[in-house]
Amino acid sequence: MAFRGFGGFATSGLIAAAILWSFATTDVELSRLMSAGPRIADFLGRMFPPDPTVMAEIKKGSAETLRIAILGTLGAVILSVPLGILASETMVSPAVFRSIRTLLAFIRAIPLILVAMLMVGAVGLGPLPGIIAVAFHATGMLAKFYAEAIDGVSRAPIAALESAGAGALVRLRYAIWPQMAPVVARDTIFRFELNLRESLILGIVGAGGIGFYIQTYVRSFQYDKAASVTIAVVVMVIAIEAINVALRRRFT
Amino acid sequence: MSTAVEVDDLRFAHTGADLPALERVSFRVSAGESVALLGPSGAGKTTLLALLDGRLQGWSGRVSVLGAPLDPDLPPPSARRSDTGFVFQEFALVERSTVLRNVLNGRLGRMSPLRALMGSSTKHDLEIARTVLADCGISDLAERRVDSLSGGQRQRVAIARCLAQEPRLILADEPVSNLDPARAGEILALLAGAAQARGATALFSSHQPDLARRFAQRIIGMRAGRIAFDVPTSELNDDATAELYREVEPIPGIGLRAVS
Repeated sequence: MAFRGFGGFATSGLIAAAILWSFATTDVELSRLMSAGPRIADFLGRMFPPDPTVMAEIKKGSAETLRIAILGTLGAVILSVPLGILASETMVSPAVFRSIRTLLAFIRAIPLILVAMLMVGAVGLGPLPGIIAVAFHATGMLAKFYAEAIDGVSRAPIAALESAGAGALVRLRYAIWPQMAPVVARDTIFRFELNLRESLILGIVGAGGIGFYIQTYVRSFQYDKAASVTIAVVVMVIAIEAINVALRRRFT
Repeated sequence: MSTAVEVDDLRFAHTGADLPALERVSFRVSAGESVALLGPSGAGKTTLLALLDGRLQGWSGRVSVLGAPLDPDLPPPSARRSDTGFVFQEFALVERSTVLRNVLNGRLGRMSPLRALMGSSTKHDLEIARTVLADCGISDLAERRVDSLSGGQRQRVAIARCLAQEPRLILADEPVSNLDPARAGEILALLAGAAQARGATALFSSHQPDLARRFAQRIIGMRAGRIAFDVPTSELNDDATAELYREVEPIPGIGLRAVS
């Protein structure tokens, strides 16, 4: 095993302590889980058959979620281009890229749902706070990816253009961009997929999209309708994943 | 005869290196001359060529290229950089771009930055690109992406890009060491011929004495950052060449240095 010597012993002890502490202080009543069997069956029973009459709501909600993901991704791309350049080790001074990277790490550390709640408070209910939240949250990752794409290119063609007398922006355009373009395309599509998945639940805090209906139907005990929406969400995620796999293959 | 390159008592050390990469280097190349830098790996050939290309700062001594002194601490302005063309050992092409785009990249230093960013090449630029593609025998490859080409074809593209700069001085760092012997002769003949046809000065490095002999009028031998000899090609003798390549014996406390 990997746990050897005193360090290994201490690690094992720490993990055991963490698990014990969680159990002891969480009030896990296993007896309740046992006796809940019939209730769970009843709950699942009420989800079947899924109610197909909510198709109109599903369409409306999915379309809004898709719009939030598209516009949120667009916003993130617009923010990530300048921030990505400023976070690149090879384009700016260490003081600049270090502070921008720290800023991006902070942005990444704030969960999307939290940003969305704050935005709902700031601009009101609807898709707009969702779009702003997605754009903000996604920038934390996308700008970092763009910076890594810039830093990951081969240096030789850049030196060649420098030798030919081309300035920094011209080198970015003709030596760096052609090399990083497929990486940027892949990263952006990947982030779009994440944005779509994550914005499915934004409706729960009132930031628009299909999550609103899940929340509404669950709260009003209409589990058959909630089941229909859940199936729609699963279908949407699988479809988007399939499309992305196909798209990613094109960018090599 | 005017002077293309003049180097006087040049010394350069890479950051953090114990020993200088170049020391007491002095030589001069006349305009239109074709000169080979000969020597083993680590002799300082690449460093010297990059320095003459204006890509290294922090050296001492006096260096003048095409009649104007280089600043030891500042890269030269872009117009001057265009006058000096460079051919890299590893081709240094943008792999995902077309051959034509790579050749047009050689024109970027001759355009205003705005025009370059807009991507609007003039008729004149395209004409030059077509001419150099034809000179390098790759007109039919213009629309191909570089990542689909062979090594020999790639170096032809790199030479075409260099010629598109309309350089008065061509520097080439081991331009054929990645190619098979037959291809190597072809490509050096192309490079030397193109330089001569344009009246440009050529300074190329090589670790192969026979190639240096075939394509240079003069040979400068380098070893451990210093110039070992500087002779017309006809006077190059085998003993001097062998001496360049003699095994370097490590001396405790001094590191890599020739025993002499």
